Amino acid sequence: MSHARSARGEREELRRHLAVDSDWPRADGRSFHDCRPAFMQTGPTTAASGSAYAEFGKTKVIVSVFGPRESKKAMMYSDTGRLNCNVSYTTFATAIRGQGVDNKEYSAMLHKALEGAVMLHTFPKTTVDVFALVLESGGSDLPIIISCASLALADAGIMMYDLVTSVSVSCFGKNIIIDPTSDEEAWQDGSLMVAYMPSRKEITQLTLTGEWSDGKITNAVELCMDACSKLCDILRERLKDPSSLASE
Amino acid sequence: MAATAMEHDGGGDVVTPGEFLGNSLSLLAGRGAYADGRSVRASVTGHRRLVPPPPGSSDQRSTVEVVGHKAHGAVPQPGSVVIARVTKVMARMASADIMCVDSKAVKEKFTGMIRQQDVRATEIDKVDMYQSYRPGDIIRALVLSLGDARAYYLSTAKNELGVVSARSIAGGTLVPISWTEMQCELTGQIEQRKVAKVE
Repeated sequence: MSHARSARGEREELRRHLAVDSDWPRADGRSFHDCRPAFMQTGPTTAASGSAYAEFGKTKVIVSVFGPRESKKAMMYSDTGRLNCNVSYTTFATAIRGQGVDNKEYSAMLHKALEGAVMLHTFPKTTVDVFALVLESGGSDLPIIISCASLALADAGIMMYDLVTSVSVSCFGKNIIIDPTSDEEAWQDGSLMVAYMPSRKEITQLTLTGEWSDGKITNAVELCMDACSKLCDILRERLKDPSSLASE
Repeated sequence: MAATAMEHDGGGDVVTPGEFLGNSLSLLAGRGAYADGRSVRASVTGHRRLVPPPPGSSDQRSTVEVVGHKAHGAVPQPGSVVIARVTKVMARMASADIMCVDSKAVKEKFTGMIRQQDVRATEIDKVDMYQSYRPGDIIRALVLSLGDARAYYLSTAKNELGVVSARSIAGGTLVPISWTEMQCELTGQIEQRKVAKVE
């Protein structure tokens, strides 16, 4: 009981710091506008047409892309290709042991974020399957899934207009913090996620939740877009890596 | 630039999807590239290569291609020639699994369907499906269309299309003796097929 109360006191303290102070180091030592160090790699799943692994701090995601392959028999005929997205969590992804079930909401959002970037007309009647598996959930799961999925699609050789990268920010009082961890996401006032095509300067998806004052939203979107461009440079570097190019 | 890229055969700099390749006023988008307004961009990862315009063409722009990296697996397109294995023969149609598209093996399974009227070019109303194909036959066929939700529509209505390899009931290899008959190597028994004329 006393332990729970002190833990809550600590949280309140941290929350107040994040909300009021100007740039106070966060729990993991980052400043408000610092992203976690990103590690990305193509080709972890050999059986898939393309795959990618991403690790942002504690968040670890693996995405496999299959196809283009024949659509399911039950599907209606379609002149354009289909993109089928599926996001699931391992049973050990969260602190509380989960069921390992599909995340329908994230699956739909991943689909929305990617479909604008994939040239669906290049594989008529067939389906490209994108399976994302969250190995460990450490905050900003969906944006990392989206970025990782676009890297996997590029690795699979699926024609795309541009790579899609995504970054989210959390709003705390007067402050905006980028790339929140799960703790920070739990205490946030509001969140904003942007999926962006940096070369074309087009946003494919924007999700805004919670409490925001209007002036901050523009700032937050710009912050996200800037971070997306930088993240995209990492993705391009990965794709140009001789080791990933050699996998013919 | 064009000269160096040609020398190494796809040894140009590596580009990734979305990367700017040039202005559409001076370049045409080839394979692995697309034009977006006034800019030409890459759509796949690979080496950037410039192809000079064919001599005598009115368009003086070079074509920029992105090649050399793995593309996604082959997908049947209308007009492509496929190698398929017959899986089921019915009175009005036969179904087949496509194995190769234009000399490239497919990574994933695609189902094709040959309708009775697409088996041969002549007397198409007198075709007996059971006298044309047997399950297990390897056929060469042309993709007519994307077909319906279930299968691609295939056609063997050409001399060079039809059964290229088959086994007899006895289990021996069938040798073509005419465009409608094949003979078993072991028993000498003659079986009916729509035989492809293989060069």
